[in-house]
Amino acid sequence: MAGEKNYYTVDPMGKLRCFKCGVPLEKGKAKFMYLDNGFPVELPVCPVCGFVYVPEELALGKVASVERALEDK
Amino acid sequence: MAQIQERGSTHVYKVNKISKEEMDSMVARCVYEQPPFCNAACPLKLDTRAFLKAAADGDFKKALGLYEKIAPFPLVLAAGCEAPCEGKCRLGEIGDAVAIRAVEAAVARYGEAARGGSVFRMKKRKTVAILGSGLFPLLLAGELEKKAYPLTVFCEQADLDSFLRCAAGFLDEDAFALERKRLRGKDIQFEFSCSIDRAFLDEKRASFDVLCISETVRSRLFPDSPVIPELMLCEKEQFICGGEEGVMNTAFGAKKAALTVDRLAQKLDPRNTRGQEGACESELYTDLSEAKELRRAAIPDGGYTPAQAAEEAKRCIQCRCEECMKSCAYLQHYKKYPGLLSREIYNNTQIIMGDHQLNKPMNACSLCGQCSVVCPRGFDMAQVCHIARRNMVSTDKMPLAPHEFALMDMLFSNNEAFLARPQPGYETCRYVFFPGCQASAIAPDTVRAAYEDLCARLDGGVALLLGCCGAICDWAGRYELEDQTREFIDRELARLGDPIVIAGCPTCKKELSTHDGLEIKGIWDVLLELGLPEGARGLARPAALHDSCGARGDEETQKAIRTLAAQLGCTLIDTPYSGDRSPCCGYGGLAAYANREVAAEMTEKCLERSDAPYISYCMACRDRFARQGRESRHLLELCYGTDAGAPPDISEKRRNRLTLKNELLHELWHEETAEMKLDFELNYTVDARRMMDDRMILTDDVIAVLQDFRASGEAVLDAEDGLLVARRRVGNATFWVKFSREGEDSFTVHRAWSHRMRVEKREG
Repeated sequence: MAGEKNYYTVDPMGKLRCFKCGVPLEKGKAKFMYLDNGFPVELPVCPVCGFVYVPEELALGKVASVERALEDK
Repeated sequence: MAQIQERGSTHVYKVNKISKEEMDSMVARCVYEQPPFCNAACPLKLDTRAFLKAAADGDFKKALGLYEKIAPFPLVLAAGCEAPCEGKCRLGEIGDAVAIRAVEAAVARYGEAARGGSVFRMKKRKTVAILGSGLFPLLLAGELEKKAYPLTVFCEQADLDSFLRCAAGFLDEDAFALERKRLRGKDIQFEFSCSIDRAFLDEKRASFDVLCISETVRSRLFPDSPVIPELMLCEKEQFICGGEEGVMNTAFGAKKAALTVDRLAQKLDPRNTRGQEGACESELYTDLSEAKELRRAAIPDGGYTPAQAAEEAKRCIQCRCEECMKSCAYLQHYKKYPGLLSREIYNNTQIIMGDHQLNKPMNACSLCGQCSVVCPRGFDMAQVCHIARRNMVSTDKMPLAPHEFALMDMLFSNNEAFLARPQPGYETCRYVFFPGCQASAIAPDTVRAAYEDLCARLDGGVALLLGCCGAICDWAGRYELEDQTREFIDRELARLGDPIVIAGCPTCKKELSTHDGLEIKGIWDVLLELGLPEGARGLARPAALHDSCGARGDEETQKAIRTLAAQLGCTLIDTPYSGDRSPCCGYGGLAAYANREVAAEMTEKCLERSDAPYISYCMACRDRFARQGRESRHLLELCYGTDAGAPPDISEKRRNRLTLKNELLHELWHEETAEMKLDFELNYTVDARRMMDDRMILTDDVIAVLQDFRASGEAVLDAEDGLLVARRRVGNATFWVKFSREGEDSFTVHRAWSHRMRVEKREG
C-alpha cells in the first residue's frame, strides 16, 4: 500500500457480495472523478461485472469533504 | 427533466461584475473601524476604549501598558493633560462624560509597570543628542528611548532631580518619586552641568547623527531660525526643537519630533509618510440607549482610588457600531463586521487559482437586506453577497452544489408542476393569481381556497399561474437563468392577456415588480378591498407577527397585513425587529441550502423575539418556524380557515405542487393528466424518510434507483444486515439506496445516501 492513498478499508470480512453475479466483492481499482479531477482509489469491486461500491460512511465522509474542497478551488 | 450543467475546475475567466473601486466605495460605508470619539479627539492616539475596558476589568497592568504606549511618563501626562477626550465622550450628551483623565491618573499611579522589554532590545545605530531641559526634552527623551536610539541628554542642571523638577515641577511628591524611578530605569545617558553655547552645540552636532534642542536653547542661540511646527524641525539649522505649550501639546510635539528623528536618521524627507497625526473626526455610530450609569463619582483631592477608577471606567459604554451584528444571525455566526467580510468576499471573487474560502460565507447570507435598514449608514451586505455570487457565476467559479437542489426545485416548479390557465369560461383574464412555489408546496389547500374565492368574487376573470417567480435563480446569482425565467413568465402572462398579478407572496411581488409594465398587487390588498371571506378567523391566542423580508421597504404591504390581521381578530404582540427591521427566517437567499447551520441560527433569531405563536405572510417563514416546533400560521390560512398542518418534507413539497396542479386541471379545466403509477410497492422506514429529507434525497431519486435495479439486477448484498444496496446516477449525483425486498414487487427503503463524484472501475 506504500504510496497509495487509502480512504477506506476494503471489506476485510468479505461481508459484501455482488447480488447479480453471486460472488464476494474484492478490493479493486476504481477512480473517482469530479470537476475535471480524477483520483485513483481502492474500493470494493465485483470481480465479474465490475460493480463499484461506495459505502455510506465513505460517501458522507471523505468523498463529501473532497467534493467541498474541489468545489471551492 | 431539465438539468443544470456542472462547471469544470479549470476556469475560463469571463466577465467581472464588480470593480475594486465599486467595492471600496461600498466598504467605506461601514463605520465599524472608525475610532471611538475619545480616541479620535486624542492627538496622542490613546486607545481609550481598550484602556477603559482594562481599567474596568481591574487589570491596571494592561491599562498602564496601553497608556505607556502614548506616554513614556504616565504620571506627567495624567497630571497635566487637557483631556479633549472627555469633551468628545458621547456620554457627555446625556449625562457626565467618563472621567478619563482621573482614571488615567489612578492607573499611572497604581498600575504595575511591565518589567523587562528593553534588556534584549537591539539599539539603533544612529545616535541622538538632546540639549537643554524642560518638559519637551524629557518627553522627547522618553519617546526616543522607546525607539531604541542611543541617546544622550546634555543639560545645565546638576543632577537628575533638578532636570526632572525643571520638566515636571507640577508633580506631587509621590508622583515625582515614581517618575524619577521610571526615568532612572530608562536607557538614557545624561551629562549634567553643561554650559550650552554655540561651540558646545556645534561639537555635539558633529559627533551625533541627529540633534534636538529645547526652545530655551534655540531662542538663545538661533533666535532667527524658525521651527516648522508640523515637523518640530528647524530646516535651516537641521535640528529638532520644541517648546512648552501645555502638557498634552508638548507630548504631541515630542511624538512628532520623534517621527522627524526617524526620518532624518534614515536620510528621508521628514514630510513624507507620516500617516495621520493628531486629533481627527470620527464617523462612528454609537447606540446611547445602552448607557446605564450616567453620573460620575466625584473625584477626591488625591484622585480616584483603584476601586473608584475601575467603577468610573465601567461607565464607558465601549462605543462600537454593531447595529447590524446585533440583529443578524449571519454576521454573528461569522463574527466579522460587514466592511471586513465584504472585502474578504470581494477578494474571494478575484481568486483565479487556489481555494475560494469565502464561498460558504458568501452563499450563507439570506440576502434579506435587514442590515441596510439597521445600519445607520445603510450598509447593504445583501448587495455585496448578491453581486459576489453573480460575479462567481459570470467568471464560472461558482460551484453548483450549494444551490443545485433549489435550482432544480425551481425548474420542477416551472416545468412538471407549472400551470398557467385562464379562469374557465374566459379566453383572457383581468387578473392572475400567482400564489408562489412555496405556497403550493406547503399549503396547497389554502392556494386552492384562495383561487376559488378570487374567481368567485372578482369580475373579469382570474387566471391561475402556478410556478416560480425566479427569486431562486436570482438568489443563486444565476442571472442567465433569471433572464430566461423572466421571459418565460412574461410570455405566459401575455398568453393570459397581461392580467393584473395578484401575488400570494411578498417575495414574488418584489421579484415580479422588476418586470416591465406589470401591474401587481398582493392578495392581502385584494382581500382588504373585497372583505374577508366567510369562515375567516384569527388565532385565539395573542400572536407575534413576523414580517417577510420580501416586504422590506414595502410599507403598504406591512400596513395591509396588520389591518387584515386586526380584521381577523388577531391580537398581535409587539416584537423587536419588526416591520422593515425584520430578520429573515433562513430561507431567503437560499441560505438554508448553502449553509444549513447558519440558516438554523437565523430561524432561531426570529423565534427568540417571542414565545407566542407566529403569524407570517410568507409560506417559507411559516414552514421554517413550524419545523422548529413553533405554532406557526400563514395569514392566508387564517383567512381561508385552512390548516396546512405539519411541515412537509422535500418530497412531499414536490408532490403537493404536482397534486394541486393535477387536481385543479381535473376539477376546473376538466383536463386529465397521465399520473405516473409505480409498478411496484414502495415503503420507507421512519429513519429513511428523515435521512432522505436531511440529505436532500427525493423519493423520485429513490424510485429511479429501484427502477434501475429492477431492470438490471445490479446491487450489493450486505451480509451484515441482509439488505441490498443499489445505485443510479441522476443528474449530477449518484444515489445509493439500501433496501429490503418483501417480494418481487415490494421494497422497503432503509437508508439512502449520495455523492456528486462519479465513480468507475479502473483498469491496470
